[in-house]
Amino acid sequence: MKERIIFGYDPFVIPFTLGVIFIMLYLGTGTVRILLTLTRKEALNLLNSIFSVKIFKTFKDILFDVLLHVKIFKRNILLGYMHASIAFGWFMLIFIGHIEVILYTPQRNGVIYYPVFFRYFVMETSQTLRGAFFFFLMDLFLLIVLSGIALAIYKRFRSVRLGMKRTTRLKTGDKIALWSLWMIFPLRLIAESFTADISGGSFLTSTINTLMGSLVESTVYMDTLWWAYSCALAIFLFALPFSRYMHIPTEILLIFLRNAGIKSSSSRDGFAESEIYSCSSCGICIDACPMSVVDKKSNYTSVYLLRKLRRRKEDSLFVAEQCLMCGKCVELCPVEIDSCRLKLLKKRENFPDQIFDYNYLSKKHPEFKSGINRPDREKVLYYAGCMTHLTPQIYTSLFNIMDKAQIDYSFMDRDGSICCGRPLILSGGERAAKELIKANSELILRANAGILLLSCPICFKVFKENYSLNGIKVMHHSQYINLLIKEGKIKLKKGDFSVVYHDPCDLGRGSDVYSEPREVISSAAVLKESSNLPAESICCGGSLASRRFSQSERESVTLHSLEKLNINNPEKLITACPLCLRSFSKFNKRETLDIAQLAEQQMI
Amino acid sequence: MEGDVLVIGGGAAGMETASRISDFNRNVILIEKEQELGGHILKWDRLFPDGIPASDVTKNLKESLGSTKVLLGCYITSIEKREDSNFFAQLNSGETIKCSSVIFATGFKLFPAQKKQEYGYGLYERVITNADLETRFKKGEGLGKDAPKRIGFVHCVGSRDEKICNNQCSKLCCITAVKQAIELKQLYPFAEIFCFYMDLRMYGRGYEDLYLEAQSKYEIRFIRGRVSEISQEQSGLVIVKAEDTLASRPLKITLDWVVLMAGIISERENDYLSQQLSLQLGEDGFIDSVDPIQKTNQTNIAGVFVTGSASGPKTLPEVINEARSTALSVNEYLNKIKNG
Repeated sequence: MKERIIFGYDPFVIPFTLGVIFIMLYLGTGTVRILLTLTRKEALNLLNSIFSVKIFKTFKDILFDVLLHVKIFKRNILLGYMHASIAFGWFMLIFIGHIEVILYTPQRNGVIYYPVFFRYFVMETSQTLRGAFFFFLMDLFLLIVLSGIALAIYKRFRSVRLGMKRTTRLKTGDKIALWSLWMIFPLRLIAESFTADISGGSFLTSTINTLMGSLVESTVYMDTLWWAYSCALAIFLFALPFSRYMHIPTEILLIFLRNAGIKSSSSRDGFAESEIYSCSSCGICIDACPMSVVDKKSNYTSVYLLRKLRRRKEDSLFVAEQCLMCGKCVELCPVEIDSCRLKLLKKRENFPDQIFDYNYLSKKHPEFKSGINRPDREKVLYYAGCMTHLTPQIYTSLFNIMDKAQIDYSFMDRDGSICCGRPLILSGGERAAKELIKANSELILRANAGILLLSCPICFKVFKENYSLNGIKVMHHSQYINLLIKEGKIKLKKGDFSVVYHDPCDLGRGSDVYSEPREVISSAAVLKESSNLPAESICCGGSLASRRFSQSERESVTLHSLEKLNINNPEKLITACPLCLRSFSKFNKRETLDIAQLAEQQMI
Repeated sequence: MEGDVLVIGGGAAGMETASRISDFNRNVILIEKEQELGGHILKWDRLFPDGIPASDVTKNLKESLGSTKVLLGCYITSIEKREDSNFFAQLNSGETIKCSSVIFATGFKLFPAQKKQEYGYGLYERVITNADLETRFKKGEGLGKDAPKRIGFVHCVGSRDEKICNNQCSKLCCITAVKQAIELKQLYPFAEIFCFYMDLRMYGRGYEDLYLEAQSKYEIRFIRGRVSEISQEQSGLVIVKAEDTLASRPLKITLDWVVLMAGIISERENDYLSQQLSLQLGEDGFIDSVDPIQKTNQTNIAGVFVTGSASGPKTLPEVINEARSTALSVNEYLNKIKNG
């Protein structure tokens, strides 16, 4: 390969070079800013994760998430191909460009623009083996990127074809970046085609060059096109910080930080900033969000919250308060942004802590019938919580099951309870909830039980995550019933009716309990699938988390969820949460039961 | 079978409308899905405000039916209005009825109290509904031989409750609760009786007097506040949790019996009929009148009338009066179509 331009320079490289310098400085500053907010412990964790085998996981995550977009492939093959072809194809173009420079023009190593405009500066024919090989590769990856761009343009008009009912509304910065991104690759193709007879080309560029005929002989056209290509790149790079495409560089930093076990501690700065800037505004969360069934509420989905947080808008609190906190958007997010955590933090930062009076807590001293002083591993302490008190059929059935299995249990809050604390936590009162957690913990430890049994997944999650109970096993009743069946203490007969199971948000996605309820149900009835995967179950509409949902809006959520559940026409609906039971039984024309009721009915 | 008028529903509204139209020498067919005429008041013992036996009212209504053809155990499977403005109704018995006018006297349904899960109806033995209590009165059982010490009435169960999707006021449960509370007090003079209410709507003549009497003479205690939940003690007694909003404090009380005042909701079982005739229903499921002031018993379809609680909760005197006015409207309509 031979350099065509002696100094290896032409003025058209200036816009691109400025763009690269700008974005490098911007990214450098941003990264340093985020790293400086890390605590000493977090910084050490980060170093540890870089200088250990963990780094391979980080590299794997970067390859799979940033370049290949495996998670989007799983959602929709076309959508995945669109993302992967642009990301991976572009990466390969840059990567191979660098290889070419290193191999053939080592004297230009480190010249920023050289690998990108290699075809302009170097000539070679495809007659030689290395020419044919590299030109073919470059044309191939350019073709892949172009096919991705074509899909992206198509998606703007018919997003449904790529598996998305709704897409994100774009801001000006996004649009400028988007249009320049669409321009970059066609311009590169034509620019390289125009020089293909001088610098060499392969199946794409050479063919186009031949087709152009006499046009390519004019150097004016050629220069104009290389200028246009460089300008398109420059516009993209300058627009990048003000657009959603910031996710491309930021996600790499996010993966490093996440793999070091770092979590956000504020809704906007530090680690949160890397999460916020990593949002690609792909809009997968808009379709996923149960709120979206109410049209105007789709404006409050995670993608728009992240955008508001990014721009430090004052109404981001209002948006955070809308969320039902079902966690489905987190489950489906291709970048794995924990937007629910950011919402909680936002609410926590605005929580009025001083208005609470906890004097009443010291007055609660329920008595337990058990006189044993040392902890008994078999003994069960049952805590119904406020929601199960509103659905007494659940604990009545559960007690009948436990009586039949001859379990020694006591009912901790028969005469009223101290709240588990999760409603407070969900509205941002983490510190306030500590008082309740302390009071409850004392009561629980005094009972000397081995198992703390709960019926409400909302309580279950908080008892598991926010309490330290000295080794007492925290169980949801669906797990406990399954345990009783496994131990042979109760027996169920399998009915010939069909049922569908609804995974409560806090039990499934929230606490990762999916299999035990299904095992119980399978031994009592014929279990049918709903139209959602277990981890993508839709909120029943009863969530305690949102302060901004009217009754009729909740009804729309419930009806939508029911429609998806009943898709295979089951005879009954089974759930494992008092709140879901209440929401669904209001509207479901089929029988709606808690898993404990089903188990009791089928018990022999 | 052919007739001038088909009345659907043999409750108080249907019977009174049928007998009054018969008075105009019209050919009336009355169908009732149960085996006996009377509707809801068949289950009732005595009626507010003066305690007249419900059976007397039913008896009078039946006697005045005159030439009306009564079909018991019958319901309509399909109905249509033909071009000549005649109606054709197919009955479950296989019979077809041709008539010029149809009257919906389909009444209401009592709210199924088990839907209000936190009150434990169907789960706790000592939680019953207003209808259950009337049945007990009728059988002469009361609340059993052992005199209960404390009894609670929970107002507005399934009425004015957005959470259970019924926003309407059932109108008659306030006074029914007062009546039933007094009856219980007469039966068990030493029992303490509590009524948990959010508003007391004593709008009818004599209602307010009865309410005052309940407080002064019978010492029934009225507590303003909704019941949040009911649970059961191991002994079978029930614990009621509520808020006393006048005293601004939560309240917990152990009672021997709780009576839930199940409200009035629309009879959704007839929705297929209103669909076949394109009748307009309100959001609450009751049939809409074409004009809520002057044409309360006419529907959006000419020749189809509505009377009684099928268009919203009503007391018995209101039902009887409306039935008579419906009879007049129907007669006018029949004259009009006859004269072209």
